[in-house]
Amino acid sequence: MVLQAALEAGMDIPHYCYHPSLSVVASCRLCLMEMKVPDPKSGELVWMPKLVPSCQTPVKEGMEVRFNSPAVQQNQQQCMEYFLLNHPLDCPVCDQAGECYLQDYSYRFGQPTSRMVEEKLKNPKKDVGPRTLLYQDRCVMCSRCVRFTDEIAGTHELTVVNRGNRAEIDVFPGLPLNNPLQGNVVDLCPVGSLLDKDFLFKQRVWLLRETKSICPGCSTGCAIRIDHNEGVIYRLKPRFSPKVNDYWMCDEGRFGWKYLQDGDRLTRPVVRRGGEVFYPRWEDIPEIINYRLRKLAEQQTPTAVVLSPMLACEEAWLIASYVRALLPQAVLVASWLPVQGAEQNFPVGSPAEKARFTIRPEKCPNRRGVELLINKLGGASSTLEDLIKQVKEKKIKAAWITGGYSQRDWVSKELAAAAKELELLVMQDLYANALTDNSHVLLPSCCWAEREGSFVNQAGLIQPFERAVDGPEGTRRDGQYLYEIAGYSGLYRAEKVRERMAEQLAEFRDIYVAPDPPEHQH
Amino acid sequence: MSWKAYDRNQPVMDPQAPPVLTEAVREKIRSFFPRYETKRAVLLPALHIVQELLGYVSYQAMKEIADLLEIHASDVLDVVSFYTHFANHPKGRKTVMVCRSLSCELMGGKAVLEAVKNTLQIQEHGTSTDGQYFLVTEECLAECDHAPCLKINERTYHQVKATDVSRILADEKNAELSIARSSLFDPPGH
Amino acid sequence: MSSDFEPILMRNVGVAKAADLQVYEARGGYQGIRKALQMSPEELIDEVKKANLRGRGGAGFPAGMKWSFLPKERKVTYLCVNADESEPPTFNNRVLMESDPHQLLEGIMIAGYATRATVAYIYMRGEFTEPFHILQRALNQAYAAGYFGKKILGSDFSMECYIHRGAGAYVCGEETGLIESLEGKRGWPRIKPPFPAVAGLFAKPTVVNNVETLCCLPHIVLRGAAWFTAIGPQGSFGPKLFCVSGPVNRPGCFEESMNITVKDLIYGSKFAQGMIGNKAVKGVFPGGLSMGVLTGDELEMRMDFDSPRKFGLLGLGTAALVVFNEDTDIRDVLLNVTRFYAMESCGQCTQCREGTGWMYKIAQRISLGAGRREDLDILVETTRNMGMMPGLSICGLPDGAAFPIRTLVEKFRAEFEQHIVRQEPGKVERVLRVLN
Repeated sequence: MVLQAALEAGMDIPHYCYHPSLSVVASCRLCLMEMKVPDPKSGELVWMPKLVPSCQTPVKEGMEVRFNSPAVQQNQQQCMEYFLLNHPLDCPVCDQAGECYLQDYSYRFGQPTSRMVEEKLKNPKKDVGPRTLLYQDRCVMCSRCVRFTDEIAGTHELTVVNRGNRAEIDVFPGLPLNNPLQGNVVDLCPVGSLLDKDFLFKQRVWLLRETKSICPGCSTGCAIRIDHNEGVIYRLKPRFSPKVNDYWMCDEGRFGWKYLQDGDRLTRPVVRRGGEVFYPRWEDIPEIINYRLRKLAEQQTPTAVVLSPMLACEEAWLIASYVRALLPQAVLVASWLPVQGAEQNFPVGSPAEKARFTIRPEKCPNRRGVELLINKLGGASSTLEDLIKQVKEKKIKAAWITGGYSQRDWVSKELAAAAKELELLVMQDLYANALTDNSHVLLPSCCWAEREGSFVNQAGLIQPFERAVDGPEGTRRDGQYLYEIAGYSGLYRAEKVRERMAEQLAEFRDIYVAPDPPEHQH
Repeated sequence: MSWKAYDRNQPVMDPQAPPVLTEAVREKIRSFFPRYETKRAVLLPALHIVQELLGYVSYQAMKEIADLLEIHASDVLDVVSFYTHFANHPKGRKTVMVCRSLSCELMGGKAVLEAVKNTLQIQEHGTSTDGQYFLVTEECLAECDHAPCLKINERTYHQVKATDVSRILADEKNAELSIARSSLFDPPGH
Repeated sequence: MSSDFEPILMRNVGVAKAADLQVYEARGGYQGIRKALQMSPEELIDEVKKANLRGRGGAGFPAGMKWSFLPKERKVTYLCVNADESEPPTFNNRVLMESDPHQLLEGIMIAGYATRATVAYIYMRGEFTEPFHILQRALNQAYAAGYFGKKILGSDFSMECYIHRGAGAYVCGEETGLIESLEGKRGWPRIKPPFPAVAGLFAKPTVVNNVETLCCLPHIVLRGAAWFTAIGPQGSFGPKLFCVSGPVNRPGCFEESMNITVKDLIYGSKFAQGMIGNKAVKGVFPGGLSMGVLTGDELEMRMDFDSPRKFGLLGLGTAALVVFNEDTDIRDVLLNVTRFYAMESCGQCTQCREGTGWMYKIAQRISLGAGRREDLDILVETTRNMGMMPGLSICGLPDGAAFPIRTLVEKFRAEFEQHIVRQEPGKVERVLRVLN
């Protein structure tokens, strides 16, 4: 379509109802353009007197269109006046202010005053779902949200009721907007009509900083953006990623990160020796670990490295290659796999091959990355179940176990019991559990938002993510201390480590970074 | 004012409540299925039948129609709220529709509307205290050669004078048609 | 003035029991379809093209050409009969369906045969109650006599016909709004392309024709295209129904050729027979509200498809006249017109949704005697944004809203301004305070 092509060419064409992943309705009439058509008599190309919607007009070879003519600009200006006729102009108390296309387009294409002297229509805000509020009087009736529930979620909760300028968005009473993708309607809303209760009145958006990340919630690996300010995360938003999540993300991912701001995270390294507990400085950790592992090597203690699917590839590689350098026989083990529920395909009821979005049961971001690494590094490997047996049978006497799960109860009784048998347990995790309590060296972990690296999603795409915030006071990024333990000095940069890793393992060479959508597309 | 009529304050349906559509009504609605390619296309006929049955289309009825036609209840609500002839709130059994097209207004339609309001003591979208009458205005009844006109349910009154109104409304049989009726959109037993 | 005009479409109006099949057949009915079945669909389409039968629903698009847009290869074709006559003050379809329902049914059969339609849906506006019962009864008779169903009249042509009742929405008279409504959705018109001929009802090739257009078909088939084109001026052939209402002596529906002028329709002895009390005509909406208004000085306009443009109107529309006399307050007319479009705008496109509502608010204030000069400018500007530049919206409704409002304000601006000048000072502010 012409509109998409124009946006891709960097043009700022105002539009509300058009969205590249939803059906075209051409109802906001903001993107109208002039077009040349053959004159019926002479066959010569002439400007058509009527304006046509660019969102609905396919691009054709040799076509000529324009957006800078007075007729087009007048239409834009008029539309902006109409959109604001019944709008309460309550930007000071509106969450959308700052990322609102009513504001932006009014400024860029509209006019400064409204000529309507009569009272505006009043429309109360509506509670349309557990997570979403609808401020009807800010609505521009673009119907994106309705089309989303129809075409992507397939749940049809939102609908248009009434007609004319009384038309509004609503749900059937008792059947609220309650699908697992509902947060997307807030992203889709170009104005401040649909708002996220979780984010409501929390932060002005112009204070937020954006960091590109990958959602760790499941193996889909949605491209996301972390919006944060002064070290505090306020919300997650999906990023466009044509190969992975299109423009969407699920609510589980969108709201599932809150655990990382819980106050009871592990924050300082602990060393336990013969019933005594020490709290070493981070600076001393490399030496402590080195000492302990060299001793294992000397005694040829059979050792396992348990790699969590919550680790970034780079971190897993640092641990594995470091341990293998000292203990070439070390067994590499893929850690516990959080699996929950069944695959959910959307629109609801569609088969997997036709799904436009999928929430996967594997609730971790990097199983494939860790498995790939274990495979490619070769040597001894095992499963967690076998490891437990081997520990009981004293075939494994030392282990470096990584956790990092949001599930605090991830440690099974068997694993906890087995861990007590170990001569040395180096433990990396977020929260206290049976393993951390019995570890000889405890290294607090950071969450994905506090780290950088890459995850390999279920389709095998290696997707880098950046660090948004710092961990709680006292913590250090896993990558940083692993880097130092492995004998490097300086600042840990995932990219640098990835390069080194790719020299050894070519599979990690090609990363996938989703292209940014055109600047003026929304 | 005549934007109607979707009343958001209606009680939300009770999931425990027994169904309001009898099997005979469902069968009647199903009898329209062969006429169309999709079940959804039967929505307007179904709503006509149900409104005739209940006097309005309750949320409960909307949900049951949705299940019958295999669509989401919100799609039924959408349609009910779009078309002015469907109401989602209880109303008088007899709907008085007063035409206020330009022709009727020029010929005295405003006075007729006032007379109806005064006689029934109601405003637009109101139901008379005896529960009998419901008043709406219509943009055009296509009876302009007989202006001003009004309708009581299916029956049209021509060249109504304001002074005729109380007589018309007092007549018990004022909604009965003199021509043969088709029962196509009637619920069974009506 | 053609005094020799013989009514064709209305030949059975006033005939006793004309809605009965036997009476209709006895008066020569259902001969057109018999003749049509002897022809091939292509020959039939050619004949209708030769007759240059232009759609009577408002836009005047040639029916034969509309049919020929259907794709060559198709399994299913739907015929939708547009009986959603909602344009105030139009009632010719009602007259045709009430008085002579079989004529419409015969027309449907012919159009169905020409387009190889499998099902015909008669989309009838919800307000039509008596006409529904009459037409449904006629349809039952026609089915019983073998005019619908399988192998009609022993031919290979089979078609079902159903009446689908609307429920109060002007916009469902727009052909894609009608199709959406038939599919059980809100009547929001669709974007085009694809046009209904390619993907219409249930995404199948679909033809939508108006009642009066279809009623012409039996006569074109029986009497030939040449007969049809001999009636009326160039480009506006055939008999046409004209509705006249308002304060005239004999309001009603009249059949004539399109040679007739507005003046003749108001004053002719065969027509409305002049104004009640001999009042002067202040203005006329000659084609349904949506085409725009004529002043009392413009009554010479010929009621054909092309003349209205010369008077700043959108077109012939439904050829339904509503006349208002010298006693009418122009502000009341404006209020009535703006209200109609505000109530009936479907709410899909911005200009129409917001524009109609805004204009209604302004008209309310003006009618309360609190107008401002700039209101008149805003009204004109708003209509220009809505529809004067065609193509600003998905359907034609905002064009239809723009023309009457703009022509009213422009042609009667002096009167509006007089009211404004005579207003007591401070009235605008006071009324606003009350309204707000």
